[in-house]
Amino acid sequence: MSELMEIKGLKMYFGGLRAIDGLDLTIKAKETLGIIGPNGAGKTTLFNMICGVYKPTEGEIIYNGRHIEGKPAHQVAKMGIARTFQISRPLADLSILDNVIAAAGVHEYTGIRSYFKKSHTPEVIAKAEAVLEQTGLTEMRDKKASDVSLGYLRRLEIARVLVTDPDLIMLDEPCAGLSNFAMNEIIELMLKLKEMHKSVVLIEHNLPMTMKVCDRIAVLSYGVKIAEGTPDEVRNDPQVIEAYLGEEED
Amino acid sequence: MAYFLSISATAAIFILLALSLNIITGYAGQAMMGQAAFFGIGAYTAAILAERGVNFWLCLLAGMLMSGVCGAVVGFISMRLQEDFLAITTIGINFVMVALFNNLKITGGSLGLNVAKPFMFGHKWTNLDFFILAVVFIVILCLLIVKMRRSWFGMALASISNDPAAAASFGINVNRYRVLAFIIGTAIAGLAGGIYSFRMGYISSASFAFTVSIEVLSMVVIGGIGTLHGPILGGILLSFLPEILRFADDYRSLVYGLLLVLMVRFMPEGLFGNGSPIMRALGRLFKPAAAASGKGGAA
Ligand SMILES: Nc1ncnc2c1ncn2[C@@H]1O[C@H](COP(=O)(O)OP(=O)(O)OP(=O)(O)O)[C@@H](O)[C@H]1O
Ligand SMILES: [Mg+2]
Repeated sequence: MSELMEIKGLKMYFGGLRAIDGLDLTIKAKETLGIIGPNGAGKTTLFNMICGVYKPTEGEIIYNGRHIEGKPAHQVAKMGIARTFQISRPLADLSILDNVIAAAGVHEYTGIRSYFKKSHTPEVIAKAEAVLEQTGLTEMRDKKASDVSLGYLRRLEIARVLVTDPDLIMLDEPCAGLSNFAMNEIIELMLKLKEMHKSVVLIEHNLPMTMKVCDRIAVLSYGVKIAEGTPDEVRNDPQVIEAYLGEEED
Repeated sequence: MAYFLSISATAAIFILLALSLNIITGYAGQAMMGQAAFFGIGAYTAAILAERGVNFWLCLLAGMLMSGVCGAVVGFISMRLQEDFLAITTIGINFVMVALFNNLKITGGSLGLNVAKPFMFGHKWTNLDFFILAVVFIVILCLLIVKMRRSWFGMALASISNDPAAAASFGINVNRYRVLAFIIGTAIAGLAGGIYSFRMGYISSASFAFTVSIEVLSMVVIGGIGTLHGPILGGILLSFLPEILRFADDYRSLVYGLLLVLMVRFMPEGLFGNGSPIMRALGRLFKPAAAASGKGGAA
């Protein structure tokens, strides 16, 4: 498998707080990479740096051979990196369908020129509807995003990512706050993405799920990587057990 | 009749102004509280040029451009500001502009400027002519807005007004669209200002005070922010209501301010916004069958 992204010596300091403190990480094409670690380990911060929300204090992020550290979020999105948010960010006034269509326009937002191009063409609607189907949102199609429950908003996050045909999919705790039933549906979806050979980075607190869907797992703690390997290797790593698994089991 | 026409001409100009504000606050979701300043920039630009013998239409165009350029500057400032700071900044800009209008020599200081009525088709423009002109611009603007709402540009504005961070995550350059919304919205306010200038035949800084910004905002909010018909219906209502109720000018801003607070608190959709009580009632009236069927079985 070839490298899709290479992260070298990445640091993000918030004042004195070292949220990410010298991280090296490789993301391979077509793999599902899990990122786990206790609360505040720096997982979301890592996503925010990759996606252009934060400019790293130091370090490099090389994606498909190009440096992307410090590039603004909208440019990173246009380069084929799509992410979900740990806390859902729906476009509350728009319908579920329009939320997905908004994301489908990722390459259409060209400034004033975008005025002259119609958004809701039959092709775009059909594409959005296909993604709604895939994520189990068809029933909610015309509901306003502010009127649907958390489970559907989580799916909406994923739907908005999929509709952009991304080269790299980054999911930040897609199961947070979901019931077991809803979680299983997300797992099914993750396995489907795997079958489709998508490149995925998954942040997840739920360990059984991570172990099930990930090819490789990197473990973060206090901004540093304390372990990396296959699910089995990570599961048996004493440092991981101490830093993370132990804490979870009480 | 002449009286009615006079109010109608002013109402049409204010509807144009309310539509322009709705682009910034309604569609793009930016807290613009000083729209009257740009109305004023357009008005003074047109008046100053008219004084020097420039053609009527060129005066309107220049007012529009000048206001749009100033709007671009505010748009760039807005990129660095949180919502509430933007509101305060635009209020500040309104006060600064009024102070400038009131003190600069070119704007006639506190005496203001006289503006000669344009002469066309063998007669001096009347209120009817200004009314027709404003209505033509309203119709054109509405058509452009309808087209906007069906375009990716409209999708971008809807996205940034809902959640800029989400918008950026799917490729929207939030700052660029913000600035564009400011430019378009303030340019149209400038156009309205130019027409106002000629229609009144005289302008002074009082016509562009912060209270005027509040009046226009009230039209948008009371009518239904972010809808096409909202600023129009709100504009008609607030232009004619004071004439009917005949409340004194002194109380006018007080009444508007109060209405604004009450609307935002109790009826944020506005009187005529989607989902407002009036529109829901109308919807039931015109679509009784659709309301009864559908959404039955969904669990
Ligand atoms: N914008 C910010 N300003 C200051 N501190 C921040 C900021 N963003 C994150 N942090 C801090 O950085 C650390 C890492 O936060 P981060 O959100 O990346 O953790 P996480 O691993 O995603 O945790 P969780 O599992 O709770 O989501 C935390 O201590 C957090 O408080
Ligand atoms: Mg997190």
